[in-house]
Amino acid sequence: MDNQNAFLNNIRRALSLPPEWQRSAREVPALFAAADTGPILQRLRSRTAAEMEQLSELLQKNAAALGITTHVVRSHEEAARVVVELVTSKQPEFSDTKQIIHHDHPDLAALQLWQHFAREAVTVHTTFGADRQLREKTIASFIGITAPAIGVADSATLVDLTGPGRPRSTSLVPSIHIALLDRKNLVADLAEAYALLREKKPPDSLVFITGPSKTADIEAQMVHGAHGPREVHIIVLSSSPAAAAAVETDNPPGN
Amino acid sequence: MSRTPPSAYRTAAAVGIASPRLQKSLRGIQDRFGKGAMALWAGLEDKELRHRVKAARLRTLEHLDIVLAELAENIRARGGRVHFAASGQDAIRYILEVATRNKVKRVVKGKSMTSMEIDIDPALAGAGIEVVETDLGEYIIQLAGDRPSHIIAPCIHLDRHQIGALFTEKLGIDSTDDPPTLTMAARRALREKMLDAEMGLTGCNLACAETGQISLVSNEGNIRMATTMPPVHVALMGMERVVATMDEHRQTLQLLTRGAALQKLSTYVSFLGGPAGTGDPDGPREFHLVILDNGRSRILADPEFREVLACIRCGACLNICPVYGKIGGHAYHSPYCGPIGAVVTPLLDGINKHADLCKGETLCGACKAICPVEIDLPRMLAGLRHKLAYGSDRWNTRQHSPAEACVFSLWRLLVTHGFLYRSLIRIGWLLQRPFVKKNKMIGTMAGIAGGWTADRDLPPLAGQTFATLWKKNYATRRPPAAVTGNEEGA
Repeated sequence: MDNQNAFLNNIRRALSLPPEWQRSAREVPALFAAADTGPILQRLRSRTAAEMEQLSELLQKNAAALGITTHVVRSHEEAARVVVELVTSKQPEFSDTKQIIHHDHPDLAALQLWQHFAREAVTVHTTFGADRQLREKTIASFIGITAPAIGVADSATLVDLTGPGRPRSTSLVPSIHIALLDRKNLVADLAEAYALLREKKPPDSLVFITGPSKTADIEAQMVHGAHGPREVHIIVLSSSPAAAAAVETDNPPGN
Repeated sequence: MSRTPPSAYRTAAAVGIASPRLQKSLRGIQDRFGKGAMALWAGLEDKELRHRVKAARLRTLEHLDIVLAELAENIRARGGRVHFAASGQDAIRYILEVATRNKVKRVVKGKSMTSMEIDIDPALAGAGIEVVETDLGEYIIQLAGDRPSHIIAPCIHLDRHQIGALFTEKLGIDSTDDPPTLTMAARRALREKMLDAEMGLTGCNLACAETGQISLVSNEGNIRMATTMPPVHVALMGMERVVATMDEHRQTLQLLTRGAALQKLSTYVSFLGGPAGTGDPDGPREFHLVILDNGRSRILADPEFREVLACIRCGACLNICPVYGKIGGHAYHSPYCGPIGAVVTPLLDGINKHADLCKGETLCGACKAICPVEIDLPRMLAGLRHKLAYGSDRWNTRQHSPAEACVFSLWRLLVTHGFLYRSLIRIGWLLQRPFVKKNKMIGTMAGIAGGWTADRDLPPLAGQTFATLWKKNYATRRPPAAVTGNEEGA
């Protein structure tokens, strides 16, 4: 802490302030004054099903431009079929066995993936918080599945929040990342995403993911799969209009 | 022109200019990203965005003590550790301590210009620690024992054949010059390194004081690997790389990724505020943030140069600068090259030592026009030249060339005394006669003036000066009749 005081005193000297005046945020409230995000939150929570559908279409369009494949489904069963098809058709990059890993999330549990691989040599792992072998399982998996908290239509961005059952590595270490995005978690732009994050208080670690890992370091030629996943699939799960309406009333505007 | 041996700047610039490969790459990157960024700014819906972010950057700098204290407090509240390092030596000492305590044998680095600024690699190597760069471009540079030459495209000066040969030699892969194959070879080699390393060392693009997080952008995913898989993560940030609020963070981030590579967002933006929390299944056990001064407070103290700390290191100015576009990044002899490097390198590392940098730029203003936060680099380049011309106690700068100062004093005397000036022109006209060639040009001049004619001919002084001609032919003419029907009448 002495280090810190000397360091900050030096800054105060550079700013021609009395060095011993240890001013704090309270003395300059304007510095941390945040714009009122109430109207933004109200706007994003009062969207009609038709508007959400528009956002979904915008997301698909922007995702395609970035090399992301989107799949729109109406039910968990349909989503599970998309995953199974990908697991069956894709080959592992770093190992000989097919292992996949998914976040411990109700939407992903609802896919009941293990049931679909009863006759195939595919191992399905779930990222339970207490699992000490999580690291090895993640490294061994060629597909990682997450359920992002937020999807941003304007930039085709997924927001994954780290927490118990939701490790950072699931969307990173496997060669293919599949995101099951509930359509109700879709927002229009980054300003809306930040407003939501601010309301929830950002956890210690979170990540914005916009497309597959890529590099253009060799003669400016774009190559997918530098260090992270070389493929990203977004499965947009759109619930029925009735369910969407129920969500709206669950979250009255301004709350 | 000069009798002293050519400077390192000139030598490296000459090498760059003579390389057709580099010229082609630079043209490519400037055509795409330089022109692209200008078009992006012109089409920006939110016309005030750049202006607003600039104002916020300056406001943060004016309150940097408060913002950094807030950042440190909030990161500590998340379980992260914060170290304030006054100098590069101090930062190195701290990071080595962390590495030793954790018995680190291998450090994987995510592209960090600040770590290059403090030159930490030799110190780590000296402690028996293997250092691996993980950004593909930086990795190639490291394998080649070379230096990066662009902020976002470090190995822009190497082509696929050179990189292919390098990989065959160092990684033992079959000979190829196919970029996807080369990238996959690096992917496999680096994956093992990143999964086994005990420490990840990264920079920081933008810290946010309000939330107590740093944020890092990357397209490759190496930064996420380096901050997720090793048990220890150390982030090193220049003290100015911070914003106060989330709102400022969002706006600044949007300018950063657009300015750097015309992207709405880079592939990954990681927000990190502490080690893995209780219940978090992965992530580092320890998170350290090292906040570095290393000469920045001296820049902060000088109102003339404070603005340069508003830079968000997107590299856009490299993509438009006509000088960088010819000489390339190596001539700058610094992790920070291009126009921003020409200002910040002398300020951090000595104005006299890097005297060539500000003199080499053209003051054309392109860097100011493209800068997402509208930093007036040309003004500061001129300011640095002023320091070199007159010396400066504040910057420990001595007059760069007393002889040049003498010449200019003499010049001032001449141009402010008409009789002296005209007489000298007359004498010059007489003296030049033996040097005028058949084509009526001067082909060679003597002494230090020889440089002027080394590569070109100069027109001789005219027999009649402009003033004489004017008096003779035009002074008595009446001005054309005033145009009627001016704006007031309309």
